[in-house]
Amino acid sequence: MNERDRQRKRALIAFQIFIYGYLLLQFGLQLHMWATRDW
Amino acid sequence: MSKSTSKTDVLAEVDSQNDDLPLGTTKQYARMHRWLKRGILVCLVGLVIEGSFTLPFLAIYYGYPTLGFRDICSELMKVRYSDDSLECKYPYDFPGPPFGGAPEGAGITTAKDQWGVQPKPEYPRIGFRELVRIHDERIARQNGEKAGAGHP
Amino acid sequence: MNLPLINRRSGNGKATSASPAAGGLVTLDDHDEQSRKAQWSADKWLIAGALLLGTNAAGIFGLPLFLFGLKKLRDATKAGLSVRPIMVTLIGYLVMVDAGLNLQGWILDLVGNHTLIYRVLYTAWGNVFDAGYFWHYNQLWIGGASAPGEKAWEVALVLVVFPMRIAAAIAFLQMKRWGYQWLIVTCWFGVVIWVGYTMNMTVFADVRYDGVVFPVIGWWIYDIMYITPFLAIPYLHTVNREIFSD
Repeated sequence: MNERDRQRKRALIAFQIFIYGYLLLQFGLQLHMWATRDW
Repeated sequence: MSKSTSKTDVLAEVDSQNDDLPLGTTKQYARMHRWLKRGILVCLVGLVIEGSFTLPFLAIYYGYPTLGFRDICSELMKVRYSDDSLECKYPYDFPGPPFGGAPEGAGITTAKDQWGVQPKPEYPRIGFRELVRIHDERIARQNGEKAGAGHP
Repeated sequence: MNLPLINRRSGNGKATSASPAAGGLVTLDDHDEQSRKAQWSADKWLIAGALLLGTNAAGIFGLPLFLFGLKKLRDATKAGLSVRPIMVTLIGYLVMVDAGLNLQGWILDLVGNHTLIYRVLYTAWGNVFDAGYFWHYNQLWIGGASAPGEKAWEVALVLVVFPMRIAAAIAFLQMKRWGYQWLIVTCWFGVVIWVGYTMNMTVFADVRYDGVVFPVIGWWIYDIMYITPFLAIPYLHTVNREIFSD
């Protein structure tokens, strides 16, 4: 695997971690609000 | 540099074909593509299932077929604005928003909310087929009042 | 120049279904003709399935048709014909179904919000999953969902993103280079959408979740199925772009 492909793979993995991490963060925030607010 | 890279790519292409890989997928990305394909199939099946079953589920949850659509519409409006006198206007005036005319909720001020920059609704949660119960109780109550008024 | 095609043709053992002109070799024209036929025979089922899938209510009937079309495609691939790769097919059609379902829901919320069926089913959906579509529904001058920011998202997506995505997906399915490029662009739009939309929901979480039947979890389970762009992006960035011509 050449360097370019390696970098590409790493960048894509970083992107996946970022976006799913962000979604988990929002989900977690909303769950927390559900637990603490009177819904 | 680009010429030799493309030659390697070409050879990789030939190799990938011989290895039974899909068109466009090279060996280093084969595993990633396989997992992506599985994820996409899961999303597809999920979309289909929720698409087909949500609407019937909603209709039944809110009282169909015991309550017709007009009744369900009116009951939801009553809950939304906490006002038992509201009814859904059907058919609504042509053309209606956004093309012109007032929206159905215009001027209604009975909704229970804590207003502010972060509004907080305060209508009650509706349980499974609870609209049917609410509807029937209100009809019974209204009939009772009418009967009571009829016998002084 | 289309290398894989030539490679397939020159006896790697897979082109067994083609009728030999002389000693096992197939003419390019024959191969093209067979491939085109196979592609269209699969596409008929895929298109019919996708159309039904896009209607929401009849979606469950579309799924077997779609899966059958996929199977035909896989058989054609195994037989060595030059048909569209399965991943391209899956991504192209799923992006279209995803965009189509969203368009359906939001176009109606923009212009059909006073129809009876919408006032019942959409506000019911709102009451179960996301009160942005129940709370003060049809009280804004524009009608429809009253959640803060929601109308802006609807208009931006309905007017710009989803039509572009559908156009790009169609061209992508036709193996056109511009379809491939613009699908990348519109899928990255999807990242912007998810980041902004979920944040808007969190900021106004009281409006969106107070009083709903299945708070938070209901909406996420329902809507997580729309993350197609996140799965398409890694594929689009790692597929060999030479397979897309024109």
